[in-house]
Order: sequence, then C-alpha cells, then structure tokens
Amino acid sequence: MYVCLCKGVTDKQIRKAVDEGARSIRDLRQQFGVGSQCGKCTCCARDVLHEALHARADVVHVYVPSPQGTLEVDIAY
Amino acid sequence: MRGNSTVIAALNKVLTRKLTAINQYFLHARMFKNWGFAELNDHIYKASIKEMKHADEVIERILLLDGLPNLQELSKLYIGEEPHEMLKLDDKLQSEDIRYIRDAISVCEAEKDFVSRQMLADILEQQENHQDWLDTQCSLIDTIGIENYLQRQL
Repeated sequence: MYVCLCKGVTDKQIRKAVDEGARSIRDLRQQFGVGSQCGKCTCCARDVLHEALHARADVVHVYVPSPQGTLEVDIAY
Repeated sequence: MRGNSTVIAALNKVLTRKLTAINQYFLHARMFKNWGFAELNDHIYKASIKEMKHADEVIERILLLDGLPNLQELSKLYIGEEPHEMLKLDDKLQSEDIRYIRDAISVCEAEKDFVSRQMLADILEQQENHQDWLDTQCSLIDTIGIENYLQRQL
C-alpha cells in the first residue's frame, strides 16, 4: 500500500528502512520525505513504523510516566 | 432556508468522505486500466462517478440549508499496489463511508430533518450495493485464486 502518495512511499519501503536502521518519523522524513508535503500520511506512517519496530527483537517498547500522562517510547539497542 | 448547524456539520463530514472516495476509486480504476484489466476499470470508474453524483447531492443540500459545503477537506487515500490489495482497501473505505452515512442519518433523524435523511438513505442503499460487490470480488479471489480471477477481468 502507498503510505505517502505525495512522495510515492509504500509500507514495504518503510519496513525495509526500519530493517536498515530507521527508528523514527524524523528518519523516514529525511530518507523519503514522508509527511513533508501535505502531511496526511503522518498518522498512517507512524502506525506502519511502530508495527515494524514492534516486530523487531532489538527494540523495546517502554511506557514512561510523565506529568503529561504516560508516554510510549521505542528504545533501540 | 436556514438549516440546523448539526445537520450541516454531519452533511459536510459525509461530503469529505465522498470527495475522498471519488479520488481513490478513480485512481484505482485507471491503475486497473493501465494494467489491462478493462472489466475492473469499468466497474470502479462507474463507482467513482456515482460518488461524484452523491457529492453533488450533498453539496446542493448543504447550500439549500444555507451552509457552506467544504470542498477543501480530503481524507487520506488508501491506494494499493496490486489488484487484491486495491479491492481490499476500497472495501475498507466503503465500510467506513457507510458508518459515516449511518451516523449522519441518526443526526438528521434527531434534528427532524427528514429530507436530508431521505437523501442519505438513498445514498446508503447504493453504498451497500457497492460494498456487496467488493465483498463478492474479495471472496471470489479467495475461492478461485487471484490468477483465475484476473483472467476474468481482461
């Protein structure tokens, strides 16, 4: 599926980028320009990114309590 | 005629869904055409034109109610890379549209706008028919396999 139509980026490309080291939306924006034109894909790109990160053994998903509520953070090692 | 603002907001939400569907179906239809699947192109092109007619009805109704139809707002398009995925994504869009139309119908009912309600009910009937067609295509692919299915779409 095309996640970002403005730049023609697919979910497969995002998953591959995660395998090659991409860890955040910022990484995807630098690499492909995801979310840099109309911005409508950011939400969908984040979902695909998190799904790909969770599937990896070297990324830990942690919940950090903060004054703004619980934050969800992916930590890679 | 001064219309109810909740009804106008609900109609504008339906309009956004319609404008999104016009584009998604149109692009999918022309992708099928480009790959040589004339049957799929025909059917989905017609679905896109139907969505445009629905959008027209909703726009005229909003204007009659003294509201401003928002033609600028567009949701994200879900464009697939291969035929099965494209049909599944259209099915997903269609189910969401149906949910929005049902919500808008309840708003119209609650606000006693029976004419808008009737218009949406007519649109809903056509949406359900298209969703049924999409469901049938997806189950056909599961039954006869994608190669056999695509053979029939040339």
